[in-house]
Amino acid sequence: MYHFNKILAIAFFIFLTGCSIGGEKKIKIFSVEEPRQKLNYPMPTPLQMEEIYWHIITSENAEEVFRKLEEAGIDPVLFGITDKDYQVLARNFAQIRQKLQETNNLLEEYKKYYEGTEENKQ
Amino acid sequence: MAIAILLITGIAGAGVYVMKLRADNATLKANQQKLETAITEQNKVLEQQKKDFTAILESNKKLNTLINTFKKDLEDLDKRFTKKNRDIGKLAIERTKAIERIINGGGKNAARCIELASGAEHTEAELKATLKSEINPECPSLANPNYVPFQ
Repeated sequence: MYHFNKILAIAFFIFLTGCSIGGEKKIKIFSVEEPRQKLNYPMPTPLQMEEIYWHIITSENAEEVFRKLEEAGIDPVLFGITDKDYQVLARNFAQIRQKLQETNNLLEEYKKYYEGTEENKQ
Repeated sequence: MAIAILLITGIAGAGVYVMKLRADNATLKANQQKLETAITEQNKVLEQQKKDFTAILESNKKLNTLINTFKKDLEDLDKRFTKKNRDIGKLAIERTKAIERIINGGGKNAARCIELASGAEHTEAELKATLKSEINPECPSLANPNYVPFQ
């Protein structure tokens, strides 16, 4: 009887503590960095320039130029600039084009740096 | 009896001490792991910083080259108007038709340069151009990447 009680007591002890054998499972908290969504704007649509025609008028050919315009059904009026202003206009246009190129280039470089190229993504 | 109590207390103390050592060991192991992870992460950060630095340098170099090309293009444009004391006005009086043709050709080329600067694709002819007669003289560096000007 004495042994039976002992065994009973041990069994009771195991019954009570059995679930704790092996310990509590620890909760693991992961922090996964979710990368910021890419803006993915398409690059601006390239410009399509329309053609213009430059007329050169001198005191010699002025009448001929206006006559030809009238014959072609175009209003005989011209908006003129001098040869010096033409140079300035050419320079201004070159500068606008360069600024456009520079801005587009900067945009590409930023995109490449912050969003990476196809090779860097892998 | 006293010896037995002393013995039991000694054994219990030893047990507690061993458990403490085990706990310390576990903590040290965890610390070691954390340190190793931190070192790996630091190395990764350093590597990324190196890559970023190289990319920034490369990008700066590219933009500087581009800006130098701009300067050269503008100088070339000025030269075309003033080369050898050229006076475009006088030339236009003397050879009106020829200059009109040149000016209109230049206008077309300049318009194409703007299209390219805004991101238009190069044509095959533009890419293949290697001779001076084939290039767009308004912006050769932009329009004809394969053209190497004779120095």
